[in-house]
Amino acid sequence: MTKRIFRAIFVVAVVMMLSVVGLVLGMMYSYYSLQQHENLRNQATYIGAGIQAEGLKYLSGMKNPADRITWIDQNGVILFDSKADPDKMENHKQRKEITDAFETGEGFTQRYSTTLSEKTVYFALRLNDGTVVRISTLTITPVTLFFTMTQPLLFILAAAILLSVFLAFRTAKKITKPINDIDLEQPELAVVYDELTPLLRRIAVQNKQIHRQMRELKCQKQEFDMITSNMQEGLLVLDTHGELLSYNAGVLQIMGIQPPKEKASVFQLNRSEGFRRGVESALSGTHCEERIQIGGKFYQLFANPVLQEDSLAGAILLLFDVTEREENEKVRREFTANVSHELKTPLTSISGFAEIMKNGMVQGEDVPRFSGKIYDEAQRLIQLVQDIINLSKLDEKQISMEKEPVDLAAMVHQVVKRLEPVAEKKSVTISVEAEPVLFQGVSHVLEEMIYNLCDNAIRYNYENGTVQVSLREKPNEIAITVSDTGMGIAPANQSRVFERFYRVNESRSKETEGTGLGLSIVKHGTLLHKGRIHLKSELGKGTEITLVLPN
Amino acid sequence: MVRNRFDLQLEQLDVEMIKMGALCEEAISAAIKAFLQSDETAVAVATEKESDIDRKERDIEALCMRLLLQQQPVAKDLRLISSALKMISDMERIGDQAADIAEITQFLKDNDTKSKVHIRDMAAAAIKMVTESVDSFVNKDLRLAKSVMEYDDVLDNLFIEVKQEITDLISRDKANGEFCIDLIMIAKYLERIGDHATNIAEWVEYSITGIHVKMEMEEGN
Repeated sequence: MTKRIFRAIFVVAVVMMLSVVGLVLGMMYSYYSLQQHENLRNQATYIGAGIQAEGLKYLSGMKNPADRITWIDQNGVILFDSKADPDKMENHKQRKEITDAFETGEGFTQRYSTTLSEKTVYFALRLNDGTVVRISTLTITPVTLFFTMTQPLLFILAAAILLSVFLAFRTAKKITKPINDIDLEQPELAVVYDELTPLLRRIAVQNKQIHRQMRELKCQKQEFDMITSNMQEGLLVLDTHGELLSYNAGVLQIMGIQPPKEKASVFQLNRSEGFRRGVESALSGTHCEERIQIGGKFYQLFANPVLQEDSLAGAILLLFDVTEREENEKVRREFTANVSHELKTPLTSISGFAEIMKNGMVQGEDVPRFSGKIYDEAQRLIQLVQDIINLSKLDEKQISMEKEPVDLAAMVHQVVKRLEPVAEKKSVTISVEAEPVLFQGVSHVLEEMIYNLCDNAIRYNYENGTVQVSLREKPNEIAITVSDTGMGIAPANQSRVFERFYRVNESRSKETEGTGLGLSIVKHGTLLHKGRIHLKSELGKGTEITLVLPN
Repeated sequence: MVRNRFDLQLEQLDVEMIKMGALCEEAISAAIKAFLQSDETAVAVATEKESDIDRKERDIEALCMRLLLQQQPVAKDLRLISSALKMISDMERIGDQAADIAEITQFLKDNDTKSKVHIRDMAAAAIKMVTESVDSFVNKDLRLAKSVMEYDDVLDNLFIEVKQEITDLISRDKANGEFCIDLIMIAKYLERIGDHATNIAEWVEYSITGIHVKMEMEEGN
């Protein structure tokens, strides 16, 4: 703006200067011509008077007059000329100034030289006797005047231009300074030209509008950030090139990484196969679900393209932790496999024995042995189904949960007595150390728990081993401990023995015929009584399980 | 913010390199799974990944050439592109060696011997090196790149150990000779994979700092 103002002022100044110089020169020249005209007339009048008084003698008497003087008679014949021989000169009757002088008393002409650099001015005056005296003088033309004046003029012009440059610059600066000084943040406070006031007011209004919108956007973004950062799930927003536009804290936590750089590629976060497939599919415009594993955990990845009027605008990725679901799924699959296996084993035996008998391949005396085996297997099947029913009852909390005072010491003794035949068969000694305790609990569940614990302690014992059952009362809780000198449980299996059908020894040897549900029932029973289980075991040395139940 | 074509192409190069690195990781994981768990499907996976890696190498090479010819990059960008060109050949070798391991495992009879030697540790070390060298490229992490270079010694020592163990095995049980030779080949491949991972880490260092340690050392001699 300063530049434009400067240029405008400068051009105006130069144009003005040039035109003024031209005008002044013109005026000066016309004044000069007028003066010269007047001068010539006076001279002619004066010389005319001289001629009339003295005739040719007066003219001859003049010593080298500055101007050329010619005397012409009525017929145009030259009587005298101060610069040339009158006899050699032609008749001047037809000259314009002469004819004018004959007719009107005086005549005036000027003739330019061929180069226009000079002109001759003629003035003719008719005397009283009818003759004409003509005075001519050489004078400069405007062109010559201009050329002779060029040098000083140029000098003056240069000085004037310099001055105008300086002044124009100063002025331009002065005009623009207040505009430059406007504080655009607070334009309404600026004291400046009236013409700008509407514009400034408009800017002020728009400023306010922008500030308000920014505040709103910021608020919205904060809200959005707050919501997404409290999300457990990972949320990623990508542009069409697969670069990160936004992500939440969940993503960083899931991936276990530092916040990535601005505009980083999403593959810097994770480059596993499933993730790549998800991102690529979303960026090519199709929805995709993948299950990926990050650091031992399983995540479900939902990759969705974001379409804007049928063209891809980016992609949104969501990561859900499905580790628990995955594990539950695994447990359920194992349970189904186990339960079918457990049910099938006795049924296969029953079917086998029954088939042999049906085909009449059994002698009469062997029938009791075979039917005994069928009976045993059927019993085992019934026991298994009963266990499953009990367990699902505990799961569904359908059985009567009425708690009553139970004499636990008596119950322990009774259970041990029931198990004595089994223990004797394996040559295992059981010792009981029970304080008399009254416990508020569900009787048949407690009995089942203690039975299962003792049963396991005998079943997984070595020959001539011992089992110790103790019952102690502590402040606010009771502790039932069953320890054995059996085969123990390896540390890797300790967390899993409470799962249904989980057997440490998958080969399921005949010696340890259990249903695989015992400890699972113990766990559920303990949970029902809001207690906890402590398991201490060393492989080959023995196991100690303590139930701590709040009283 | 409007970015020019060059920036976009550089970005694309970065992403393609990450993908190729990921393919390498997957190839070697599959090969080792095939070896340790005698998993037939993993053999097929490793072979498939190897051809994916080859294709990726050609793609990246073409992209680098286009960048070099059309954009005439200078300074850091030129370093990045030239080191990418070097890295992809190392990655391609890793893919080849993974496929070779997978191929050997096909003819390997299931044998307890493999749990007797430290080859499992070697496999873990090799996977760790490949993963970390790719990580160092992805995150432009100089420190991680250096730690990969140092970790190569661990893998080399393990190789010496495994070699000794296999020598002992052969002298004790002569019938098992063929199996032992296969084992030593796998061990050698793993050791080579470690070397390639080290090379990748060195090129990562070069692309960041402009100094290639090994070359500087050779020039110094």
